[in-house]
Amino acid sequence: MRELRDLQLPLNQTQKIRLRRALQQLQDLASKASSSASVTVADTIPVNHEDGVLKGHGTSELDGEVVATLCGVVERVNKLVYVRALRARYKPETGDIIVGRVTEVAQKRWRLEINFSQDAILMLSSMNLPDGIQRRRTAVDELNMRSIFEESDVICAEVRGFQHDGSLHLQARSQKYGKLERGQLLTVPPYLVKRRKQHFHHVEKFAVDLILGCNGFIWVGEHVEARDNMVEDQDNKSEQQNSKLNTRSLRLEEQESTYTPVETRQSICRIANAVRVLSSLGFSLNVEVIMGTVEQSISLNLDIHEMLGAEFCVQIAEREVERRSSLTKKRR
Amino acid sequence: MLSGFNVILSTISFSIETEEAESLKQQVSFTTTTIPTALLFSGIPFEKACQLRVKGEGGLSAATAGTMVGLSLGEKHFIRGGIAQDLRTDGRKRLTYRPISVETGVIPQANGSARVRMGTTDVIASVKAELGKPDLLQSDKGRVIINVDCSPTAAPIFEGRGGEELSTELSVALQRCLLGSKSGTGAGINRSSLMVVEGKLCWDLYIDGLVVSSDGNLLDALGAAIKAALSNTGIPKVHVATAASADEQPEVDISDEEFLQFDTSGIPVIVTLTKVGRHYIVDATSEEESQMSSAISVSVNRNGHICGLTKRGGAGLDPSVILDMISVSKHVSEQLMNKLDSEISAAEADETES
Repeated sequence: MRELRDLQLPLNQTQKIRLRRALQQLQDLASKASSSASVTVADTIPVNHEDGVLKGHGTSELDGEVVATLCGVVERVNKLVYVRALRARYKPETGDIIVGRVTEVAQKRWRLEINFSQDAILMLSSMNLPDGIQRRRTAVDELNMRSIFEESDVICAEVRGFQHDGSLHLQARSQKYGKLERGQLLTVPPYLVKRRKQHFHHVEKFAVDLILGCNGFIWVGEHVEARDNMVEDQDNKSEQQNSKLNTRSLRLEEQESTYTPVETRQSICRIANAVRVLSSLGFSLNVEVIMGTVEQSISLNLDIHEMLGAEFCVQIAEREVERRSSLTKKRR
Repeated sequence: MLSGFNVILSTISFSIETEEAESLKQQVSFTTTTIPTALLFSGIPFEKACQLRVKGEGGLSAATAGTMVGLSLGEKHFIRGGIAQDLRTDGRKRLTYRPISVETGVIPQANGSARVRMGTTDVIASVKAELGKPDLLQSDKGRVIINVDCSPTAAPIFEGRGGEELSTELSVALQRCLLGSKSGTGAGINRSSLMVVEGKLCWDLYIDGLVVSSDGNLLDALGAAIKAALSNTGIPKVHVATAASADEQPEVDISDEEFLQFDTSGIPVIVTLTKVGRHYIVDATSEEESQMSSAISVSVNRNGHICGLTKRGGAGLDPSVILDMISVSKHVSEQLMNKLDSEISAAEADETES
């Protein structure tokens, strides 16, 4: 089975059997729930030939039949028939919240890597200046771009849209967007993160920020209050900038005092491991599932790194089976 | 991404015209990329650019493939903090290994083979035995040749010939840890058992390692894979025709059915300790390796004796620190040895079943 091969865990015999059974049950539930036709390459798509049918992406005409050129699910919208691939690269849509990494600081813009076929662009004008004043960006602002974001920085932003030349533009004008520090970035396949109303989650119980980027980059980190730049004093600002510059050349003892506290770190690692387990099993990621996994690991008194072990993995799969079967029962 | 780093290096050679910069230009001349015009005028202070260069040097000269994608300052701070507080990014303690899985017999044409996975690090080792003539100086010992190849699919940095430096470094380190010196003293692998006819015929073992996926701690994984492959190795029995004169090559009959299992009780395990800040960690991922100041790889055998030692990384270490690291690695090696032995026997049991 594909799932068992992907999991690089040393499973013993009973665990393999249990996992196989759980995945089989999930597949049965899924096929009962939806009636979407999945096709593989060269399958014919059943189409009513009397209506003029528009052949979309992933289809092709062969001997008068519409055949699929991708493996995926057939979608129909009015007269348009197309095949949507399941495991595609991230496809950006306007308004998506994404997490990206800066690859380049270019003229008046930053280029970010977001697991898309091209690098996304964040214009200097789509970014709030540190002093919060709304003004025209000058040459001095351009020279100081590195003081805002540098190479390899992790940034949270929103998709503004595609320009006419085909490039993807982002914007980060709100206080909740910006540089992400003090945490870890995880990469999962993008199809596991469905579009929802909320992608920023502040888990109060653990004082942890969880940002589910639609492009599959997930940020788990210490909670940072979204500051309102315009309210702050000029004095406060310069002080903070000084302390930021000093981080580069801090001595070991001074650095140690700025480390994340142990309890917060434990929560961050637990949540990160929960995301890792769920993504290795191929389950959709949302806050409820992730926090449920974390709660289960706490109630089982598991060590944090044991969450990545075989036993917990199988238990999560079984739990997901129960959750989905109870959902389908409720629906009926 | 390495490209960002390279661009900054090239900027030094273009924007500053002092004497120092000339010598720097010589050193950085091998990294040439096209520079976006914005960078020429972005006015990076010389010290900052130098600092970045020094940091990069430390990471690259370690010759262990560090992270391919760069890490932001915040993430690096988080990793260092985790190591200092004994809670790494995946929840492990400083001296905990990732789950190890061993498969033996993955290459049927070889005399022995094994595949070891430590987290996302994936390596394959294969052992081929061929008859050959022993060295004149060591006529009673066979030959063992260890070679490692980093597959370009393992990491983007290995594309083309990028993996060659790392491959040679790993091969040399493995030879040092497992084979001991040229004279054969202190060897982890017992080469006398490879002898067939003294002075004339011996087995040559060609041990090949392949790095399929690289996520840190390659040396430990390769050491474990070689140990597993050797325990899976079957050397064909050789019947030597008697009454051969001293000059002639004796006639041999290599049996196809009978095999001798190679004796692996003396083979050491390799434990790599990576020093980050003030603490040492075992089994570093490639992100953690990018933060290391130095690393020591120690091969320890079942009796707790040290068979080989390699130090990597540009930072100097106090001798007391080295002694401390050696004793820590000896302590860790016991658990690793037991874990590996149980995994190898489980893998062999699986293989005979299937």
